Amino acid sequence: MNKFQHQQTLSQLNQRSLAFWTSRPDDWTKAVTEAEKIVGYPTSFMSLRCLLSDELSNVAMHMRKLVGTNHPLLRTARGLVYDGTHNLQTRGLIVLLMSKTAGVAPHKAQQLVEKDMIDGILPSQRSLAEITEMIHTANLIHKGVVNLSDLQPNDGPVKDMEFGNKMAVLSGDFLLANASTGLAQLNNTKVVEVISSCIGDLISGEFTGLQDENGNPRLKPDITFSDWTNQTFLTSGSLLAKSCQAALELADHDQNFQKKAFEFGKNMAYAQQLNEDLKPFITPDDNIDQMSISSAPVIKYILSQTPALPVSTLNNLDNRKILNLVKEGSIIKDCQNLCLEYGQIAIDSLDVFPDSQAKSALINIVQAVTE
Amino acid sequence: MAALRSRLNNGLLRFWIYHAAGIENRYIHSIFKDGEIFSKKIYPSKQSSSLILNQSCANHITLTSHSYSQTPEHDKKSIDKLHVSPHSLVEKDLSSLTDEIRQEFSTASKELCEVVEYYFDGQGKAFRPMVVLLMSHACNKHINLFNPQIIKSQKRISVIAEMIHTASLVHDDVIDAADTRRGKTSVNLVWGQRKSILAGDFILSVASMALARIRNEQIVTILSQVIEDLVRGEFMQLGSKENENERFSHYLRKTFKKTASLLANSCKAVAVLANCEEDVTDIAYQYGRNIGIAFQLIDDLLDFTSCDKILGKPTAADLKLGLATAPVLFAAQQYPQLNSLIMRRFSRSGDVETARHLVAKSEGVEQTKLLAIQHGKEAIRQINQLDKSDEQQALINIVNMVLNRSK
Repeated sequence: MNKFQHQQTLSQLNQRSLAFWTSRPDDWTKAVTEAEKIVGYPTSFMSLRCLLSDELSNVAMHMRKLVGTNHPLLRTARGLVYDGTHNLQTRGLIVLLMSKTAGVAPHKAQQLVEKDMIDGILPSQRSLAEITEMIHTANLIHKGVVNLSDLQPNDGPVKDMEFGNKMAVLSGDFLLANASTGLAQLNNTKVVEVISSCIGDLISGEFTGLQDENGNPRLKPDITFSDWTNQTFLTSGSLLAKSCQAALELADHDQNFQKKAFEFGKNMAYAQQLNEDLKPFITPDDNIDQMSISSAPVIKYILSQTPALPVSTLNNLDNRKILNLVKEGSIIKDCQNLCLEYGQIAIDSLDVFPDSQAKSALINIVQAVTE
Repeated sequence: MAALRSRLNNGLLRFWIYHAAGIENRYIHSIFKDGEIFSKKIYPSKQSSSLILNQSCANHITLTSHSYSQTPEHDKKSIDKLHVSPHSLVEKDLSSLTDEIRQEFSTASKELCEVVEYYFDGQGKAFRPMVVLLMSHACNKHINLFNPQIIKSQKRISVIAEMIHTASLVHDDVIDAADTRRGKTSVNLVWGQRKSILAGDFILSVASMALARIRNEQIVTILSQVIEDLVRGEFMQLGSKENENERFSHYLRKTFKKTASLLANSCKAVAVLANCEEDVTDIAYQYGRNIGIAFQLIDDLLDFTSCDKILGKPTAADLKLGLATAPVLFAAQQYPQLNSLIMRRFSRSGDVETARHLVAKSEGVEQTKLLAIQHGKEAIRQINQLDKSDEQQALINIVNMVLNRSK
């Protein structure tokens, strides 16, 4: 991989994670802003408690050393602290909306006094939303640890990159440790188990064979579309689905309702990833750099060819050539339809819950990524 | 010289006070009691001090229950004290440890499995699981409990403790850019930093799931505290304290968080699982805390006295990482010129050699050993409050093993 490509993939990696939640700024921002009002407060301050801790202030102080290097931690941190418009923390928001949509199970509601709930959400569910964000952010940071033996000349001095790794490991660990104590405080071992499994899934998502040693996307031989589904579930679906499920567990809802919440989160994540994967093909001028070789349209293209296309041919093409190949057939349309389908399944899974502002907000958020 | 000596004495005593205040206010009383023994016996004058020091360091130390026992011996059956082997008592459980851990990873992909299992090769000392298992039996016997279900949960704690420990090793090796671990190439050099870190996270998530499946909220709280302590301890290693006294208490608090918390809290967890009263869970916790601190003090000492071959890791490794451990901190009392080296984290060329030289010239190593012995004594005093049993005796013997280990 040459110097330029390396730089590109590194930034691509982060943009992918950042841009994941930023489709159609207008619709999206509107849906999110409306939703934040419903749950009582903007969610962007959720991790503030962590960010203001001595430990992370310490990391922030040292971050200056990384300026001028290519260490991914720098970008992740920048996105976290300054970039309010990116709405990085919408996972937490969705958990809160799901909590409010479902309410608490009748037998639990009887035991509650009015002050136990704020804006229709249990304090434990708010903690859970925060934990979800912390786990996601920790994963983002840890995925940005770089292999020191694969450094490129323009990455910056090895010493600095090593230091960047150290900071990344510590700050990610700090968030995970906070998530762990936060989970313990919820006093529900089922929630601890299901949310801990999300961390495992996020890691498993980095060991599926759909990425190289440095975490850059790559294709594997005999790829099928279920590889894409599996990858998407592990890297984003699991956390969203299981957090929604856990929110209902905290409100004492039964397995059936929990399953619906899980399905909502999972299908929402699929729709969102498809939307993300499609961007470079729909508006190439802005997004061609973000194209991923393991995105849904590329995989669908490979599968559409007879005889099946050897993946090596695509691995050697540049983004523009891939764009032209994929755009030829009906693949883009197919993917858009698939995105709509996933969105519809997500919306349908909310049928068991009564209509409410919170439910409409969830539907709006789904529609912001599918339309 | 006399003035220097008295300064040293005051310094040590001061450390004790800070140490006691810093870690556990509740136990300030007992530590003071020990502190008195400490100052009387060890520092009456220069001559006798070095006599005792030389004796205690040159010979094999055996702290027996007699000298520290607060409770009268009321055991009916006699226990062949020196021959209770800690390892053989729990050998069956320990032999299945690696398999049990590997079983937990069975859902992971092949590639992920290879990385996460790299350090679970059965070659580790399994020190933590051994202590936890012995503590389980000692507590159970103390309250006459023989519940297979509870014993099974306690065994799970020993597995989880080893997993948490290993996850932190993997991350430490990346942070410290280690080359080797237990004589084999370190995980970061084999798999790269990125995968190593992710594998560490995976081990932790599997440990958390196993912990949750015990279905006991209190246990989850106790062990999640360990995870927090481990990280906070690592953060504490980032900075050096300006103030000399603060520096030692900082070091001891760091030592508690990075090493002793896991032992203290997993010992407590197995006592809680046995439904022991609070006095017993406290004994378990204090035993784990003290043996953990003693363990780390000896580890820090060996970094100065052992050669590479014995330890399986390069010596003076701590200095090279910029870390000032007990031997250096003690030596700095005698040779204040070490303070500026500590502050700049031994970063200039020649700093590491200078520090090693001054530590060798000073009594830093002996004083570290004495501090470890004090913690060993306290661990024994604590465990002596439990009814006599083979396992209880084994926990006493482990203290001696920790104090006398050379690797």
